[in-house]
Amino acid sequence: MLEIEHVSRAFGGVKALEKLDLSLDAGIVLGLIGPNGSGKTTLFNVLSGVYPADSGTILLRGKNITNSKPQEIIRSGVARTFQNLRLYKRMTVFDNVWIAQHSLPDVALRELILASRKKEKSRRQQVQHLLEVTGLIDHSEQLAGGLPLPQQRRLELARALVRSPDLLLLDEPAGGMTPAETEEMGGLIRETAAPGRTCIIIEHKMDLLSGLCHRLCVLNFGEKIAEGEPREVFEHPDVLEAYLGRSRPDA
Amino acid sequence: MDAYLISVLSNIGMISFIALSAYLLLLVGEISFGQQAFFAISAYGSGIVTAMWGWPFWAGVICGSGLGALSAALIALPTLRLRGLYFSIATLAFAEMVRLIFEIFKYQVEIDGEMVGPNGSDGFRDVRAIYEQNIPALDYMFIIYALLALVLLGFIVLERSRLGAIFRMLGEDTMLTEMQGLNATAYKLLAATMAGFVAGIGGALYVHLYTYVEPKIFDVMLGVHSLAYGLIGGLGTAVGPLIGVAIDIGLLESIRIASGYRMILFGGLVAVLLIFRPRGILDEAAVHWFRVRWRRVLNARN
Repeated sequence: MLEIEHVSRAFGGVKALEKLDLSLDAGIVLGLIGPNGSGKTTLFNVLSGVYPADSGTILLRGKNITNSKPQEIIRSGVARTFQNLRLYKRMTVFDNVWIAQHSLPDVALRELILASRKKEKSRRQQVQHLLEVTGLIDHSEQLAGGLPLPQQRRLELARALVRSPDLLLLDEPAGGMTPAETEEMGGLIRETAAPGRTCIIIEHKMDLLSGLCHRLCVLNFGEKIAEGEPREVFEHPDVLEAYLGRSRPDA
Repeated sequence: MDAYLISVLSNIGMISFIALSAYLLLLVGEISFGQQAFFAISAYGSGIVTAMWGWPFWAGVICGSGLGALSAALIALPTLRLRGLYFSIATLAFAEMVRLIFEIFKYQVEIDGEMVGPNGSDGFRDVRAIYEQNIPALDYMFIIYALLALVLLGFIVLERSRLGAIFRMLGEDTMLTEMQGLNATAYKLLAATMAGFVAGIGGALYVHLYTYVEPKIFDVMLGVHSLAYGLIGGLGTAVGPLIGVAIDIGLLESIRIASGYRMILFGGLVAVLLIFRPRGILDEAAVHWFRVRWRRVLNARN
């Protein structure tokens, strides 16, 4: 599904990603963890075309998408959310999801001005369905900028899902949430976002990841220091060192 | 109707086109100080085809607005590579360049023993198509407002469409819009072309009403005003810039008390609004407020 081979990216002298290799089969949910500044979000930015990679290749379903433009990558079936929440704050909650349909392949150019009533109706129903699933339906006419943070994160998730992406990149979906809200978000991802889809989730909250992920990948200083099933990874000495600054777990 | 009132209303109508033109670019998040260039290109172009080539008035309006769109597209291709302030400076420089070209542009032919055509800094006289076709001032005012209504209708259709939403998306966050699978530059180019077209309609109407234009009419103050109209009236709806024009020309220029102080009042108004209501009187939140209430009224009726 996704093959990342030897991808590097530096900012000046800082190596944000260093010869990263990562391979994901379809339907796998991968948790991406690592200390702050370890290159997690940089990987998302390179994957989604925000930054070009300095070297290496990225294959999505065998197609080379390295350094393609963001709009091309998104059109080939990738959707993402943002750590620092990016919504159209001057638009309504409904419109924030509706707008993600503009570039779907079945929306003809002509429909950007004059929508066919029947197709538009079913598309609007799809938006409403997602707003119901994410618990935002009662806010659908509100401006997105006025939503509390947990709802804004769910709105980003709904916007990403409306495109039915093959590869979903979630950047701290529970960032800034209380434990109860985190659990709710975890349930939402488990039941709606993840099934039948390849996902990469960046998150610091291990209880969220351990219930969701098939695999974990740990980055430190732009390099992969461990990958595997969650339990193996948590016991990996390098991981403990990177996170806790110790070389051995407590007895 | 009083001739003075007709002339003020006609002026409001014509300037509304260039205000809508600047507004369209503000929607996609670009500040252009140069929409007067397309107004000028269309005024000269449509004047040439009617006064010199003998084409009818309508053909002049179509040619003028087409030229406005074409020149806007050509200039947007390189300038849209620039971001933010740099784009604004480039539009300003381009508009001044156009004005200076018209200062030296001479193209005259002899018609009935008189030389007709653009004559450098002396301007372009005798664009008399509407007088030759015996269109009275009142009728011409209705023509202006009929075209304005058509353009406004176009804006209403646009703002309800996905294309209109794309324009607003670009205005809020260009990178995020690319992340929705959309080609930001292509849509900005489309917006710039449409804006050139709309400014062009105004320019063609302008030259035919006054029968005369000169390059200095199209100086940077016209561009600054057209931007300010949207910022005063509001960026939430196409009605916003029209309110801006009405306030400036209708109120400040026409009320004699304000004469002499007009620019001071206008500048002050812009400054106050930029501080307290940076996106104008009818900003997105205000329009949303009205829309929600309007929907409630409709639902209550059903």
